Amino acid sequence: MSAPMPKRFGYVEADPLLGVASALPYAPIMLQMGDRKVQVSALIDSGSTLNVLPFDVGLKLGAVWDEQIVPVRLGGNMAESEARGLVLTGQIEGFEPVRLAFAWSKSNRAPVILGQTNFFIEFDVRFCRSQMFFEIAPWTRSGE
Amino acid sequence: MTLAELLPALHGLAKSEKLRAIQVLAADVAREDGEILAPSDAPYPIWSPYDAFEGAATLMRLLEQEKAA
Repeated sequence: MSAPMPKRFGYVEADPLLGVASALPYAPIMLQMGDRKVQVSALIDSGSTLNVLPFDVGLKLGAVWDEQIVPVRLGGNMAESEARGLVLTGQIEGFEPVRLAFAWSKSNRAPVILGQTNFFIEFDVRFCRSQMFFEIAPWTRSGE
Repeated sequence: MTLAELLPALHGLAKSEKLRAIQVLAADVAREDGEILAPSDAPYPIWSPYDAFEGAATLMRLLEQEKAA
């Protein structure tokens, strides 16, 4: 079976006033927990050690804070936010769904962040910031 | 169009539009000079938990436990 073709996305300008200077790699992804699905625009962040889920998105997926018993320590300027581990299914259109583990933060300050653990373990990402696009392809084991 | 022609129109703008015009022009000038203009007084947070290695290890364990179950 041949590896899926990479999917290309454009950088999104976070601040129209600043234009290209504020462009960040956001990609659409469907998150699912049980029967509940939420489509989000997630920051593809190679500088983040882990995936982060804002509090409200977790609630929309039906997650219950008190039922998540695994504390996750965040870093950077999110170090003050309490977070708990939550495993979801994530699907980028055109690719197979994968299991993604998130630090479900009690804060809504940050967007959905897809970081090294474990988004970048499941997907290969090629950033072409000079050309304002990036590409995502699922990691495939040799021979698959 | 000259500035003399533009000024009466600019003076006629609402306050919020005048502010917006100032911001757009300031951004234009900064871009032409190759500088990055910081937003006025708005916070510009950096969210990345760039050093949450312990948290990442916790998430890896969660995934392994789920696979094993």
